[in-house]
Amino acid sequence: MQRQWRRTAMSLMIIAALALGGCSSGNNGNNGNKAAEPSKGTGNQTVSKDGFPIVQEPVKLKMFTRIAPVNGPFKEMPVFQDYEKMSNVQMEFIEAPTDGFPEKKNLLFASNELPDIMYRSNITPLEAVRYGAGGQLIPLEDLIKDYAPNLNKLMEEYPEIRASITTPEGHIYTIPGIVTLDSARTDKRWINTAWLEKLNLKVPETLDELYDVLVAFRDQDPNGNGQKDEIPMTSRVVGLPIVAAFSGSFGLDLQFGYNVNIADDKVEIWMGSERNKELLMYLNKLYAENLLDHEVFSQTEAQYLAKQGSGNTGIFFDQTNNNFLPISDQYTGIAPFEGPHGDRLQSQNAPVPRDQGAFAITSVNKYPEVSMRWIDYFFSDEGSTLLRFGREGEHYELVDGIPTYKPEFSTAETQPKLTPYAGGGAPHLISEYVGSYINPPQVQEAQKALDPYMPKIRYAAPMFDEATAQKVNMLRNDIDKYYEEQSTKFIAGSLSFDKWDEFQSTLKKMNIEELQQIYQDAYDKMAK
Amino acid sequence: MKNAEIHETAAAPQFRPERGSRLIRQIAKRYDLYLMLLLPIAWYLLFHYGPLYGLQIAFKNFAPGKGILGSSWVGLEHFKRFFDSYYFGRLLWNTLSINLISLLVAFPIPIMLALLINEIRSKTYSKLLQNITYIPHFISVVVIVGILTVFLSPTGPINTLIQALGGSPTRFMESAGWFKTIFIGSNIWQNMGWQSIIYIAGLSGINPQLYEAAKMDGASRMRRIWHVSLPGIVPVIVILLILDIGQFMNIGFEKILLMQNNLNLEASDVISTFVYTTGILKGEYSYTAAIGLFNSLINLTLLLMVNRFARKTSETSLW
Repeated sequence: MQRQWRRTAMSLMIIAALALGGCSSGNNGNNGNKAAEPSKGTGNQTVSKDGFPIVQEPVKLKMFTRIAPVNGPFKEMPVFQDYEKMSNVQMEFIEAPTDGFPEKKNLLFASNELPDIMYRSNITPLEAVRYGAGGQLIPLEDLIKDYAPNLNKLMEEYPEIRASITTPEGHIYTIPGIVTLDSARTDKRWINTAWLEKLNLKVPETLDELYDVLVAFRDQDPNGNGQKDEIPMTSRVVGLPIVAAFSGSFGLDLQFGYNVNIADDKVEIWMGSERNKELLMYLNKLYAENLLDHEVFSQTEAQYLAKQGSGNTGIFFDQTNNNFLPISDQYTGIAPFEGPHGDRLQSQNAPVPRDQGAFAITSVNKYPEVSMRWIDYFFSDEGSTLLRFGREGEHYELVDGIPTYKPEFSTAETQPKLTPYAGGGAPHLISEYVGSYINPPQVQEAQKALDPYMPKIRYAAPMFDEATAQKVNMLRNDIDKYYEEQSTKFIAGSLSFDKWDEFQSTLKKMNIEELQQIYQDAYDKMAK
Repeated sequence: MKNAEIHETAAAPQFRPERGSRLIRQIAKRYDLYLMLLLPIAWYLLFHYGPLYGLQIAFKNFAPGKGILGSSWVGLEHFKRFFDSYYFGRLLWNTLSINLISLLVAFPIPIMLALLINEIRSKTYSKLLQNITYIPHFISVVVIVGILTVFLSPTGPINTLIQALGGSPTRFMESAGWFKTIFIGSNIWQNMGWQSIIYIAGLSGINPQLYEAAKMDGASRMRRIWHVSLPGIVPVIVILLILDIGQFMNIGFEKILLMQNNLNLEASDVISTFVYTTGILKGEYSYTAAIGLFNSLINLTLLLMVNRFARKTSETSLW
């Protein structure tokens, strides 16, 4: 009797323990099949190939979208209110906040509870291939041909767009946010000119001069309050942007959206290179001497933006001057610094298809043609203006023929409530015509300072076939985690550079050479 | 039994009830109790047995679009990848060491606190102490980590104190060496009061006559604690220990995740957070299901070992 009880109890425990281990995933695989062919029948409706409305009878679609902390509800944005009337497409918004968004997105796919449209969804190339090949995202290339005149035009004008979103099998699963405005693709280097003038310093041109300037910022009390509370230099946290900001000074480029140099048709992943060691040593020197903000590895976005607005920071990096508008006259955008080997490159520089995976259509969508027509409008200047600026006369006015926010809608509080682009990643066209807010004269000047140092070609992250994507995913999960952690430790000084050999050999053990070969193959295919 | 046998032989010629139908009759007789059992059974089936079906993805290349059944089998490939991974040793070591140190340091403290509260004569004072120590239990993890970050920041009160005493400030939250101390220390602070409640209940159940007798025999206070109080709650201690071991490998996931950063990852990277960042955030469901399964197996082994040990030594055990 006792033994039997023991046995049942034991098996119960085993089962319970196992249950804890297995990810639950209530899933049914019946959506997979109908995914491959975009459904031809859009009910009895005809989809007009141009002009509005897109359909005569209203169509309802569910849109899953990211919502930034600064945004208000999407249904209150003028663009969606007006566009619904114009297009006859009614959107139901499922909004997920930026924090925890990747989790929600992946769970949608894993549980196969799909919306009709993924919007502002930052689907990575790896995810696009995985979910596309799995049938959860439908191929868009034919739809683009027939139902997306604006997008087509852009893709002809900028061939790199097509290259960056087409898989080796010839499928397109996602549509990126497209940025034809140069200055929207770089982080400017903002330096506190008020401090420079006060301390009688020149704008630093080389890394050594930068060092001297930072020391002066730290020691000579440029803000004049008698305390050593100045922050000489700071940056964002996620993905080591401080390394990206300085890699160009050591001849390290960022091709393929990765730590990759391309020279003479040779692809090199430079994470373990001597140049990178020099780069990290330089940053380590700045960090150790309190010239680099010690919160660069931990501060939140809000803290970082507060530092921009405080005027108490010497140098920081951002695309616009929007976050420090009230004190913007204290800052100037400057050129990259020249490194010890004479390198001077603005390697931080996004490609034209900047916001990857911003839009996708899922297999449950009954109206793929309508959806494609719907999104295509935003790739025209007219649609983009509606998206970014709202209604003419109410939210914006034309100044010299260029849409410009009315003053009450140009503050940091009101502007992001007006448009879904604030907070980044919305699938639309960012051209010079719609760039008045993010590209005011000061930012244009800052971009001019960077222009001579831009890389000649910028390759976007390549698309792989499913098996290769899987492989890349596996390799990069390990390598990227290791690289980011170790780089942070090198810079912060909690790992000595004596361990560099170990660092290199670990990267090798993680098969970084195989990864390099995969990128090389991708490059060779592209070059052909 | 004997009676039943006699009765059965006597009744044999006319009617012989089947075993099954007797069970049904018994159930029918006590149907109200069995109805109450239905709910927990349903809960177990839905949330503990149902998900077991999905466990097979640990041996498959799970693609959500193809579903669980449609994905292809890959055998033990994911397990192999994990064992060969650079992170395997570190993950296992961190998971085990954090939990082991927690167990060694944090487990006895609520017991001591309970004994202490039990010995306080003033009712108001002991109630006050009990309340003060268990209130932190109700603070959410996010807030706790927020408090830690503020207190331990380079400009926070702790570092200000250190500087006032002539030391140099330490970046506690960004140091691998401090991680375990901070994590376990704050856990103790937060949970000791709450965990001591059950021991206090156990202590109040001890027969006062035992204390009287010990007093008569001239036992000092410490002796009374040692020979009366402690043996009185040993069964409770053992059961709680085994239950703790049951949670061993999953402890503190949210808190560790919140405290994690690149600078302390060396000490704070544990299996559960790795499963979250790789599985949920990067969509490697099969790989991380395999890791989770491995995690559960270790936990099960530990549980069985501790239970057997407890049964041998103290005659108290779960089964």
